[in-house]
Amino acid sequence: MHPLRLLRELLRATPFRWALLVAAAFAVCTLVLFGFFYWQTCMYVTANIDGAIMEEASLIAGDPPNEGHHEVLEAIAQRLRDDPRRIKLAGLFAPNSERIAGNVEALPAGLPLDGSAHATSLMRITAGDREPQTVRAVGIRLTSGDVLLIGRDAQEVRWTAAIVGRALALGLLPATCLALLAGAWLSLRAKRRIEVMRRQASRIVSGGLQERLPIRRTRDPLDRLGAIVNRMLDEIEALVRALAGVGEDIAHDIRTPLTRVRATLERGRDQARTLGELQALNDRAIAGLDQSLAIVTALLRISEIDNEQRLTALAPVKLTEIVQEVGELYDPIAEDKGVTLRVETADRTPVIGDRDLLFEAVANLVDNAVKFTPAGGAVRISLLPGGDGPIIRVADTGPGIDPADREAVTRRFYRADKSRGTQGVGLGLSLVAAIVKRHDFTLVISVGPGCVVDLACRAARVASTRAIGSPPLAVSLPLGGSVHLGMSSPAGASVPAEVSVPLRARHLPVQ
Amino acid sequence: MTALGDRGYRSERASSGTAGLDRARGGAGDGPWDLLVVDRMLPGLDGLAVIEALRGDNIMTPALVLSALGAVNDRIRGLRAGGDDYLAKPFALGELMARLEALLRRPAAPRETILRVGQLELDLLARLAHRGHRELELLPREFQLLEYMMRREGQVLTRAMLLEHVWNYRFVPQTNLVDVHIGRLRRKLDGPNETPMILSVRGVGFMLHAPA
Repeated sequence: MHPLRLLRELLRATPFRWALLVAAAFAVCTLVLFGFFYWQTCMYVTANIDGAIMEEASLIAGDPPNEGHHEVLEAIAQRLRDDPRRIKLAGLFAPNSERIAGNVEALPAGLPLDGSAHATSLMRITAGDREPQTVRAVGIRLTSGDVLLIGRDAQEVRWTAAIVGRALALGLLPATCLALLAGAWLSLRAKRRIEVMRRQASRIVSGGLQERLPIRRTRDPLDRLGAIVNRMLDEIEALVRALAGVGEDIAHDIRTPLTRVRATLERGRDQARTLGELQALNDRAIAGLDQSLAIVTALLRISEIDNEQRLTALAPVKLTEIVQEVGELYDPIAEDKGVTLRVETADRTPVIGDRDLLFEAVANLVDNAVKFTPAGGAVRISLLPGGDGPIIRVADTGPGIDPADREAVTRRFYRADKSRGTQGVGLGLSLVAAIVKRHDFTLVISVGPGCVVDLACRAARVASTRAIGSPPLAVSLPLGGSVHLGMSSPAGASVPAEVSVPLRARHLPVQ
Repeated sequence: MTALGDRGYRSERASSGTAGLDRARGGAGDGPWDLLVVDRMLPGLDGLAVIEALRGDNIMTPALVLSALGAVNDRIRGLRAGGDDYLAKPFALGELMARLEALLRRPAAPRETILRVGQLELDLLARLAHRGHRELELLPREFQLLEYMMRREGQVLTRAMLLEHVWNYRFVPQTNLVDVHIGRLRRKLDGPNETPMILSVRGVGFMLHAPA
C-alpha cells in the first residue's frame, strides 16, 4: 500500500484516533506533572536562598549590636570577596539612603525593612560595571539608623527552570512519539483482525455458512463479539439444514400422491372406454390431489403456529370441556371402528392458553389414537393432576411407537413404516408438538401396552407468570424408553403480564 | 365464471380492485348485484379495501373473499373487513358454489322457534325433534347439526362449512369426522322404510331435503 494512503487509512481508523487521543492526554498529564515539579523546586530553592540571606543579615546586623560601622563594613567586605559566581549582594546605606558600602547602587524602592526576604530588582556595581539583577533581598535597619541590605541573585531559580524545561523536552517528545507509535501499531493490528473478520464474513454472506469467524482464546471485546456471531451462525446453520431436510421431506411426500395422480390420469386417458370409467378414475385423481393439498394445508398450519409471534387468543381454558368435547367428537368414529373411547376427568385446574389450539392438539392426539387402534381395542382420554399442572393423557391399545421412532414422530412428515398404509398425512403429531411448544407445555410419548401420550400443561397460576414464547425444543432419549419433548425456559416473545394477570384474578379462583 | 353460467347466474368480471369497486357501486350502469366474489390480492386496490369502501358507502351486498392466504388470522381479518365468508385457495369448485349459494340464500332472521322441513319438526324451545309422530332422540350436537341443516333446506353444505358453523372448528381433521356424524344423524332421522332426508352430494357435501 502507498504510504500516504496507508496514513489516510490509519487516520480514518477509529482505533488510531483513540491512540492519538491517548497520546494527547498523556502529553497534558506530563506537562501538568512537570509544572508541579517546577513549582515545588522553585519553592524549595527560593526557601533555601531566603534562609541563607536572612541568617547572614541577622548575623551581620546583630551580635554584638551597636559596635559601630567597622564590623559591619568588614563583614560586608568579607561576604563580597568570596563570590566567584557574582551572585552575592550586600550594601550599607545611610538613613538618607546614601550608599556607604557594598556592591548595590541604591536601596530598591519599596523593599520593606523587616528582616524577611523579598523578591526585588536592583543595580549591581562591580568595579564600575552596572548590572541589573533580579534578586532575593533582605533589608534591616540597624540600631544606628543605617540600612543593611543582603541579597542573592535568583539565577538558581532560573537554572532550575531551565533544567526542568530540558528534562521536559527530552522526556515528553519521545514519550509522545512512543505513545503514538504504540497506538498506531495496536490500531493496525486491530484493523488487520477486523479485515480478516470482514473477509470471512463476506465469505459467509456469499453462502459459506459452514465458515466461522476466527477467534483467539482471549476475552477481549472483539473475540467475544466473534464468539456471539459464531454461535448465531451455528443456530442459523442448524436451522437452514433442518429447513432443507423439511424441504426434501415435503418434496418426497407430495411427490408420492402426485405420481399416483399422474398415473391415474394417464390410465384414464388410455384405457377408459366408458364415461363412467373415466369419471371413476377422475375421482381417484381428485382424491390424490386433495391429499397433496391436505399436506400443504397442514404444513402451512404448522408454520403458522410456529411463526406466530405470540398466542393471540390467550385466556383461561377449561381442559375438562376440551377433553369432553373431543371425546364427543370422536365417539362415533371410534364406535364405527369398534374401538371403545373412554373419557375421564380427574383434574379441574384451569390453564392459560389458546382454546382452539389446545382443542386442535387434543383432537389430533385422539385422531391418531383412534386411527392406529385396531378394532376391539380401546382409547382412553384422561385429565390427571400432575406436578406443574394438569396432564392430558391419551392412551390406546394400538401397536405403540417403537422407541427408535419416538423422537421422529413429532417431526414433520414422519410416519413409522408399519403405519404407512393408514390414511393421513403424517403431520398430526408434528402439529401437536408445535402447539405444545407454543404454550411452553410438555409432550411425553411413552409405552404402556400400546401408546401413551402425555400432554403436561402448566396450571394457570404458573402459566400466567411465565412468558409464553418460542423456547428452543430439546429432545432427549432417556433409558426408560420414553421420549421427553421438553422445553427450556422461554426466551422469545412474551405475553405482557397485564394481559394474563387480570384474567386470572377475574375468572380463576386460586385452587 | 363458466361454472356460474352453467348454474344460470349472470356474472361479470372486473380486472382490478378499483374497477371492481366502481362496478360494485353500480358505476358502469349494471347491477345491483346479488353477490360479490373478491380476491384478496388485486391489482390496484386490495380486496379487503374494496369491501371496506363498499361497507363504508352502506352497500351491503354479500361478499365472499377468496385468498391464497389461508392462515386463521388472514381469515379473521377478511371477515372483520366486512366479508361474509372466506375461502382459501386452492378450493374445490363445489365448495365455492355451495358457499356462494349459502350467501345468496341466507337464512331468514332466526325468529321462528319451530322449524319444519317436510315431516321433520324441530322445536327449538323445548329442544324436541320429531319426524311425523316419531320423536327423535338427539344428542345436543346432533340437534345443532339438524337445526343448521333445516335452516338451509335444499342447500348443499360442505364438510368445511359444517365444521365451521356447527362445531366452530377452524381446523380440518384428518379423519372423515363429519361423515361419521352425519351418518349417525341419518340413522336417527330415517326410520325403516322412510325416505332418506339427508343426501350426499358426491365430492362436495350433504343436503337436507324434504322427500316429495
